[in-house]
Amino acid sequence: MDPVAVYVHTPFCPSKCGYCDFNSYAMEGEIIKRTVHAMLAEIDRTPHFGRPAKTIFFGGGTPTFLESQDLARLLEAVMRAHPPTPGCEITSEANPGTVDAEKFASMREAGFNRISIGAQSFFDEDLIRLGRVHRSGEIERAVANASNAGFDNINVDLMFALPGQSKKAWCENLQRAIALGTEHLSLYCLTIEENTPFYKEFLKGLLDLPSDFGQVEMYEQACEAAEEAGFNQYEISNFAKPGKECVHNLCYWNCEEYVAYGPGAVERVGNRRWTHVKHPRLYCERVEANEDLACESETLDSKTLRFERIMLGLRLNEGVDIQVAKPDAQGLQQAIERGWITTEGDRMKLTALGKHYCNQAVVLVA
Amino acid sequence: MDQSLIRNFCIVAHIDHGKSTLADRILEITGAIRGEAKEQMLDSMDLERERGITIKMTAVRLSYRASDGKEYEFNLIDTPGHVDFTYEVSRSLAACEGALLVVDATQGVEAQTIANASMAMTQGLEIVPVINKIDLPHADVARAKEEIESALAIDASDAILVSAKTGEGVPELLEAIVKLIPPPSLPKRGVFEEGTLPDRDNPLRALIFDSHFDPYRGVVAYVRVVDGHIRKGQVIQMMSTGSTFDVDSIGYFAPEPMPLDELSTGEVGFFTAGMKEIGDAGVGDTVTSAENPATEPLMGYRKAKPMVFCGLYPTNGDQYQELRDAIERLQLNDAALTFEPETSDALGFGFRCGFLGLLHMDIARERLEREFGLELILTSPSVNYVIFKTDGTMEQIANPSRFPPPQQIAHIEEPAVKATIMVPQEYVGTVMNLCKTRRGIFGKMEYPSPTRVILYYTLPLSEILLDFYDKLKSQTRGYASFDYDFSDYIRADLVKVDVMLNGDKVDALSFIVHKDEAYVRGRAIAEQLRKVVPRQQYEVRIQAAIGAKVIAAETIKPFRKDVTAKCYGGDITRKRKLLEKQKEGKRRMKNIGAIEVPQEAFLSVLKVAE
Repeated sequence: MDPVAVYVHTPFCPSKCGYCDFNSYAMEGEIIKRTVHAMLAEIDRTPHFGRPAKTIFFGGGTPTFLESQDLARLLEAVMRAHPPTPGCEITSEANPGTVDAEKFASMREAGFNRISIGAQSFFDEDLIRLGRVHRSGEIERAVANASNAGFDNINVDLMFALPGQSKKAWCENLQRAIALGTEHLSLYCLTIEENTPFYKEFLKGLLDLPSDFGQVEMYEQACEAAEEAGFNQYEISNFAKPGKECVHNLCYWNCEEYVAYGPGAVERVGNRRWTHVKHPRLYCERVEANEDLACESETLDSKTLRFERIMLGLRLNEGVDIQVAKPDAQGLQQAIERGWITTEGDRMKLTALGKHYCNQAVVLVA
Repeated sequence: MDQSLIRNFCIVAHIDHGKSTLADRILEITGAIRGEAKEQMLDSMDLERERGITIKMTAVRLSYRASDGKEYEFNLIDTPGHVDFTYEVSRSLAACEGALLVVDATQGVEAQTIANASMAMTQGLEIVPVINKIDLPHADVARAKEEIESALAIDASDAILVSAKTGEGVPELLEAIVKLIPPPSLPKRGVFEEGTLPDRDNPLRALIFDSHFDPYRGVVAYVRVVDGHIRKGQVIQMMSTGSTFDVDSIGYFAPEPMPLDELSTGEVGFFTAGMKEIGDAGVGDTVTSAENPATEPLMGYRKAKPMVFCGLYPTNGDQYQELRDAIERLQLNDAALTFEPETSDALGFGFRCGFLGLLHMDIARERLEREFGLELILTSPSVNYVIFKTDGTMEQIANPSRFPPPQQIAHIEEPAVKATIMVPQEYVGTVMNLCKTRRGIFGKMEYPSPTRVILYYTLPLSEILLDFYDKLKSQTRGYASFDYDFSDYIRADLVKVDVMLNGDKVDALSFIVHKDEAYVRGRAIAEQLRKVVPRQQYEVRIQAAIGAKVIAAETIKPFRKDVTAKCYGGDITRKRKLLEKQKEGKRRMKNIGAIEVPQEAFLSVLKVAE
C-alpha cells in the first residue's frame, strides 16, 4: 500500500481568536477526554488500517492544549494504524502559551519530530488584538524549549497586514523570527473570514488594515528578508532552509491523498473528499454509535481535479507541469501577457508580480 | 359539433386575483384534472411557474354536462396577466365569445381589471363578473360589486360569488357560462366583418391566436375556426404569406393533447403541419384552404408593437449565429419580439431587439440563456425616438449610440403612454409627486368608491421603463395598481450622454435623458459603474459626457493583490468553489480595451433612476 499523509485534528483551544474560522472550540472538562477517546476509537477502526504514514500532522485547534499523555496516546494509535515510513515527518502545531519544556520533551519522546509554533507577532498589542493567549516573550522560550527537547525541525508562523500594523513593525517581526534560527517560516497575510468577530468589525470599518499597496510591500519585505536569511521560498506563504520543506503540506499542494481523523477533519482518498462532523459532541456521539462520520462529501471528477491541480500547483515555486495540468491556452497567454505567469520548459509558474494576483491567475488559466 | 353547444371563453383579472386557481378548479370540477394534479395547470412553462405569472396562454377543452341535461364543449383560453402582455391578451380575447371578469373580493377592482375588461368589451365579448376569494374573512363583496359598476359600468348585481380555493360557487359559475356566454354561431360585434353567417361548409378561415415550437412536431398552432373546417391531411394556406402546408395532426388539449380528425366552425384546438420556419404560422394570421381559399382574411387583430428596445450581444463573439437561431426560435413562441442585427464597437456583433416591456425583455433574456444555453450581455433599454433633423429629414432611432450630433437635431419626440393608476385615497399626493418627477402630465381623477382614486396621467415611456412600477409599489405600500397603453409621440428636450472608460467612449453605455436630468443621471451612472466594475490591474477612469463636455467622473483604484491566504487539506474545496465562482463571473465579462466590464454594468442605467 502506498504511504499516505495522515492528519489529526484536535478541535480545542484555550480561547477563540477574533480572526479564526477554523473548526475550534473553547471547551473544557469531560468533553475533551471523551473526544480523545472517540478519536482513538476512530483511528483504531480506520478502513485504511495498515497503510503506512508518509507524514503525520497534528493540527487544530491547539494540539498542545491536550495533555501530554493524550497527545502521546493519539500519536501511538496513529502509528499503530499507519506505520511511519523511515524518516517520516511527524509534526504538531504548538501554541507558545500552552506548552512548556516538559511537554515538548514528552512530545519528542512520543515520536513527534517537527514543531510548528503559532507565533503570529512579537508585539503584545498585536497578540491582544488578535485574541491570542500567549505573549511575545513566550515565543523565544517556546522555541528554546522545543530545541532543548531535541526538535531540530521547527516552524514559526507569523501574520502580516494586522490591524494598525506598520511596515516597520512587520520588519521587526521578521527580524525577530529569523533570529530564532528555526528551519521554516510561514508568513501569512491576515485574511478576514466571514463568521468571525473580525469580519463584523471589518464591516463596521473598525479594522484599521494596511492598504493593498501596504500589503504588497509587506509581502515583498517578507520574501526578501527570508531569502537573505537563507530560506528558500517554496510556496506562496512558506519558506524553508534547504531540505526542510514541510513534506505534509507539500502533499496537499501536489494533489496527493490524505487520511484524516478527528472532528471537522477533511480526508481525501481516491476521488472522494469528505469532512468529519464538526462539533466535538456530535463527533463523539457518532463514533460511539459507530455511525457514519461524514457531514459533507464530494466526488472529485477530472474537471475538478484539473482545477485543483492548477490552483494548488501555482502556489508552489516550482509551479506545475503544463502537460499534466492542461491550462486554458488562451488564458495562459493572457496571464503571460499580464506578467503573472512564466513558462519554463513544461512548467508554468507565478512570477513575482503574479504572486500578488494568485487567485486571478488561477481563474485565468484554469 | 353543434355550434350551439360550444362555449369559448377566457378569464381576465388583475394579477393575483386568483385567475389560475379558478382555472384549476374549473378543470377539476369538469373532470379534466384530478385533485392531486399539479397546481396551476395552465401555467405550463417552468419560468411561468417560478415567476407565478402566465406568459403563454394555452387553450383547454372541457366537457360539461349542464343542468339542462346537454353536454357542452367548453374551450377555456388562458390569458397573460401582466401589463407587458396586453397584446397577447387581445389575441386570446378574439378567439372567445365571453370573458369571466374575476375580481378579488378583498382587493376590489384594480388597474389591470379596468384595462383587461375594457379590451374584452371592445372585442365584443360578453362579460360575466365573478367575485373571488369570498371565503376570506375580510372579503367585501358589496364594495367589489360597487367598484365593478362604477369603474367599469358593468351590471354586477348578478355577479357570481366564488371561492376558487374551496370550489364554492364554481358549479354555479359553470351554469352561468352556459346561460350567459353566447355560442359561436353568430359573428361578434365589431370583430369579424359582417356578412355571411359562420358555417361548416364555408371556405375555411381559422385564426391563429398562439403557437409554440415543439422540437419533434415543429410549430404547433393554436386556432379558433371561424368558418368552415380544418381536416387532417388537408392542404392549407396562410393568407398573409400564401405558403401552403399539409396538416399532419389536429387535436385539442384536455389538458393533454388529444388527437382529432377535424376542427369545425366555432371550435378551438391545435394543428401541426410540418411548419419549421419563422413566419410559417404567424400569430394573427388567417389559415384557409389551399383548394378553396376564402377571399377575405379575418380582421380584428392588433399587431404587436415593441415599445422597448435593447441590444442583445453574446458574451462570447463565437455565439453570434447561435444567438440568431435562438432568437428566431423564440420569436415563434413570442410574436411580439422583433430583432435586427446591429454592431457595437464595445460589444461586437449582436441584435437590437424590441419588446413589449421590461418584463417581456427579462423573460426573453432568461429563456435565451436557460433554454438555449447562451450567455448574453444586454444593453440598457431604450425607447424609439423620432428625430427631426435640421436638414428637414426625420429618423427613428432606438439605439442611443446612433444619435446624430446635437447640431444636426432640430427637435426630438419620444413615445408617451396613458397611465391608469388606482390607489387608496391617502396615497394620491405621493403618486402625484412621483408622476411629477417622471415628467408626467396630469389628466384626470376619478372616484370609483369613496376611498379609492383612479389617476390618469400621460407619462414619457422612457420614464416608466426605469423603476417607476417598483417605486409606485414601494411608495404606496403595495396598494397602487398600474396599467398603461401607448398614446402618442410628444416633443421633449433630450440629450445623449456618453460614457467613457479611460477616455474611450463605450457606445453600448450611451443613454438618452431629459436635459434637466442629465447631470444627476450622469453622476449616478458613473457612481454605479464604479461599484460594479471590478478593480483592475490598472486605474480606471469613468466619465460621463454630453458631447465633449464631461459632466461626471469617478475613478476605480487599481487592484494590487489577492490575499495570499493559507490553503491546506481542509481549505481546498472552499477555495476551489470560490475561484470557480469567480471564473464563472469572469466568463460573463466583456473586455473593453484592457478593461473587464461585467454584464450588469450595461444595465447600470436601470439601477440609477433616482
